[in-house]
Amino acid sequence: MLEKKSVSVTLEHVTKRFKNVKGKKDVIAVNEANLVIEPGELVTLLGPSGCGKTTTLRMIAGFELPTEGKIFIGNEEVTMMPPNKRDTATMFQSYGLFPHMTVYDNVAYGLKLRKIPADQIKEKVNETLGMVGLADYGDRAPSKLSGGQQQRVALARSLIVTPSVLLLDEPLSNLDALLREQMRIEIRKIQKDLGITAVYVTHDRVEAMSLSDRVVVMKDGFIRQIGPPSVIYEEPNSRFVAGFVGKATFFPVKILRKDAEKWICELGGKEAVVSHAGDNVEVGMEAVLMARPESLRVVEPGTGHIEGKVRMNVYLGNSLESFINTSFGEVLVQVDDPHAKKIYAEGSDVSIDFAPDRVRLLNKDET
Amino acid sequence: MFTKKRIIQFCFAALIFLSLDLWMFKTLSTNFRSYEELRNFNEIELFAQTAPEDQDLQAYEKWIPSVKSIIAGARAFYFSFDEMQGDFVPSTGSETSFRLWDKYKESTEFRKAMESVYYLEPMKLSGSYKADYSLDPDIHSQETIASQVYFVPVIDENGYQANGAIMILVPNSTATGYMSLLRTIFISAAVIFLGIMLVITFTRDPITGFMVLALFGVVVIFIAYPLLEAVRLSFMKDGVVSLQTWKETLSPTYLVALWGSLRLGVLTATISTIVGYMFAFLIERTSFRQKKVMSTLATMPVISPPFSLSLSIILLFGNNGLISKQLLHLNTSIYGLGGLTLVEVIGMFPIAFMTISGVLRQIDSTVEDASLDLNATKWHTFKSITLPLSAPGIVSAWLLVFTNSLADFANPLLLSGDYRVLSTEAYMLVTGRSNLSAGSALSFLLLMPTITAFLIQRQWVGKKSYVTVTGKPSTTLTELTNKPVRVSLEVVSWTFIGFIVALYLTIVAGCFVVNWGIDYSFTLANWGEALSRGWTAIRDTVTLAAIATPIAGLLAMLTAMLVVRKKFPGKRLLETLIMTPYAIPGTLIGISYILAFNKPPLLLVGTGAIIVINYVIRELPVGVENGITALHQIDPAIEESAADLGADVTTVFRTIVLPLIRPAFLSSMSYTFVRSMTAVSAIIFLISARWNHLTVLIFNFSENLRFGLASVLSTILIVIVLMVWALMQVLVKDDKLTQKTISTR
Repeated sequence: MLEKKSVSVTLEHVTKRFKNVKGKKDVIAVNEANLVIEPGELVTLLGPSGCGKTTTLRMIAGFELPTEGKIFIGNEEVTMMPPNKRDTATMFQSYGLFPHMTVYDNVAYGLKLRKIPADQIKEKVNETLGMVGLADYGDRAPSKLSGGQQQRVALARSLIVTPSVLLLDEPLSNLDALLREQMRIEIRKIQKDLGITAVYVTHDRVEAMSLSDRVVVMKDGFIRQIGPPSVIYEEPNSRFVAGFVGKATFFPVKILRKDAEKWICELGGKEAVVSHAGDNVEVGMEAVLMARPESLRVVEPGTGHIEGKVRMNVYLGNSLESFINTSFGEVLVQVDDPHAKKIYAEGSDVSIDFAPDRVRLLNKDET
Repeated sequence: MFTKKRIIQFCFAALIFLSLDLWMFKTLSTNFRSYEELRNFNEIELFAQTAPEDQDLQAYEKWIPSVKSIIAGARAFYFSFDEMQGDFVPSTGSETSFRLWDKYKESTEFRKAMESVYYLEPMKLSGSYKADYSLDPDIHSQETIASQVYFVPVIDENGYQANGAIMILVPNSTATGYMSLLRTIFISAAVIFLGIMLVITFTRDPITGFMVLALFGVVVIFIAYPLLEAVRLSFMKDGVVSLQTWKETLSPTYLVALWGSLRLGVLTATISTIVGYMFAFLIERTSFRQKKVMSTLATMPVISPPFSLSLSIILLFGNNGLISKQLLHLNTSIYGLGGLTLVEVIGMFPIAFMTISGVLRQIDSTVEDASLDLNATKWHTFKSITLPLSAPGIVSAWLLVFTNSLADFANPLLLSGDYRVLSTEAYMLVTGRSNLSAGSALSFLLLMPTITAFLIQRQWVGKKSYVTVTGKPSTTLTELTNKPVRVSLEVVSWTFIGFIVALYLTIVAGCFVVNWGIDYSFTLANWGEALSRGWTAIRDTVTLAAIATPIAGLLAMLTAMLVVRKKFPGKRLLETLIMTPYAIPGTLIGISYILAFNKPPLLLVGTGAIIVINYVIRELPVGVENGITALHQIDPAIEESAADLGADVTTVFRTIVLPLIRPAFLSSMSYTFVRSMTAVSAIIFLISARWNHLTVLIFNFSENLRFGLASVLSTILIVIVLMVWALMQVLVKDDKLTQKTISTR
């Protein structure tokens, strides 16, 4: 088995500015990023395209230099160190397999550079190919493999040099849905077994949720929130994070007062109680009330917070999605285990209800 | 990157090194000077002892100039001792020395020296004096040079008293050779050290830094420096800044030549573009069958040696030509604009053909279908759709041929007759009248239209392309001709090709004829003579081309990688400088090379190295372009993966980049080899007694009407070039095969 190595990765005030050659303005890809990744942790950088997540990864790998700030791997500062001197291994979106070499030579490449005796290389390559399930594919050309197999070759090639940090740049985006799920689990298993520190870049929230110990949500070069998947999903600090990591409805509200750690706000002319709030929320301000579809309940007209009419029901087996027209627009309510609940027919008047601790007050700014 | 700490570090190291460098230089040069002084003293004292014994003036007149045999370039003047005056009086010797003495005789320095001599002590004056050597010039010194002044007594046989005194001038120039070498060594040491320090302190990837630095070195020394030197010298006359050269150049005599070049260029470009379009259209857009054969034959003239077509035209249509004289008994001359245009069109229409083919191939046939569908005639469709769509190709082809025609040197050299063009005019000035500065001024005159055309082609046409590559190639091409049109196109094209083939066969025939034009009987004697007289040239040419080929190939690929994948300051400048030799005529490069490299510190004229360097520099642009295109098609993640796994820049280049761009690498090597074997315009200035070039020998034979010998050498050259070309073709194919075997295993 490959040896275990666990180190931390630290970013201190890392900023990356790209000089724009033709236009006059510089592009700030990453702005003042501060991040500590613990040894053995898998951290996902999540965000829409252009948010700076790949640039951050490439700075950790050494392909880009930060304009300002410092990067540490373990206790060693690596800010200026070229990629070939860093103890990192990157898996690229396009795999970056060497097309003129066989699968075996691809995997052996890093070991050959380290001047390891041929018989040891052979043993290690075969072992690693076995680990990713490609034991019999050593003499094939990479171009003759399927996408998933190419993915495994890239993984084997990265892991065989026992890097301290594994960097994954949207590695699954070229695979079909089923394979993606399978590979996701496989990567997570191997990462846990080896205890290797990993940074994973993706724009897919499901991938980020299911893989990570912690998720870093980024937008426009800024880190917006860092936390375990459950926190990111259930306790988002901003409207952007809430909307990006899952389905949500935002009701405009006015915050009236705060009573015993609970927020009292005005929602559609009635008062509503909310237990939690995100950043930049104060008494007296206009805000939004964020509700996930599964946090809402459909109840008899007049008994809930918001009145409406069922427009359409979509049956999904383990749940049912109810689209309800309200004065705030269309609201999606997810009814779990629909057999055990009362289902309101399309066209019937209903009311939407929620528990105070299942929704969240957020600053109404989109960003 | 440029942190305060690093800057201080760098300045500190630089300061230490520079002071060390300077100190060593000072010490060595002082040592050298004092050693030289000592040696001169010894020599001069020995010289004084050889003074004639009798005080006869004539004997002294004879003896005094012999000082030159002891110290090169020295001048002496003899003063005899006049008992009456109790002083030394001027007697005989060099005018140069006398004038200097006359000027300074009242100075304390000179008085002290005379006094010292009176007491039998030789003396050297401190400091140096400017003496005018043009008063009595010799091969070592003609102008005003700072000199050392020595005074030495001529002692009578008893050794008690000075019979006379000798004043000796030693020009500093004897020492400057050594001193300038010393200076060069120390300055380059400082430059190299500072460069290395700069890279080590301020880059995080020293290997890339060094490669970039080395590349800049090559480019500055072998491209920028010679060109600047040529510019500088065109503004100099007899050592002073002057516009004289340019005045001469812009006189009617040479403007006629410029007009001649332009006229020839326009004619050649226009006809070549028409012929090229015909071939391109026939091959790309009709259902013509022998496309492969035709396009191979039509591209052949591009790789044929420079004099071969002219030679063959002379053999057929010259004053004693087979067709003009023997068959038709004509008296018209092929020499001049007509013959030149004919030869250049044959030699350069392939450029137009290839450029236009590229554009025609990409036109989406569906737009023509749409036109036909709207009931336009085929002719109307061609006129209103196909022709306008191929306009960028036509303009591009015209400009390229125009540039090539202006720079053409070999054909005008043989065929121009009384017609005058700039490129050969510059050559005549340099070789015939050894007027290098006028030669370079003429080449610059030629450069202006060339570079204008080149820039238009690059900037304007390059962007104004109507053709879009959709990545969805249409499978069928619409036949735009009817049968009679196609057949007539075919007939014309085949006739043209037939003529070209006949030209080459004429050269082969020329090898086996006793004396073309006079005696057509069969002989093999040409072969023996040509091989015995041309063997060294063949060997030299192949050797030098073979040395240049891998260097140019590797350098081109390395440059391409740095340009495409690395960020460094001055990248645009580097790219521009590397591409420069592509746009400037060979004559200018040749002239600027002899101007720049026939003096220290880089005395390269006469060596094989300068020829190799010239090959490499001239063919680098095409190789770099090839490499850049190839690299753009390769996912950067592949190289990044390798770097990530621990490979440094050189390893990435060797194990990843080079294998992946192997076709570009091979084709730029074959291009370099072929072009080097057939080079003439720059090379003709750089060959020497030791290193000759086959094409120059062919030219010499043709000029001396030894057509048999010229034919044999041309044939040999064509065979070598074709063999190498075919070999490279096979190698590139072989590459695909190995890939296939890997993938099907």
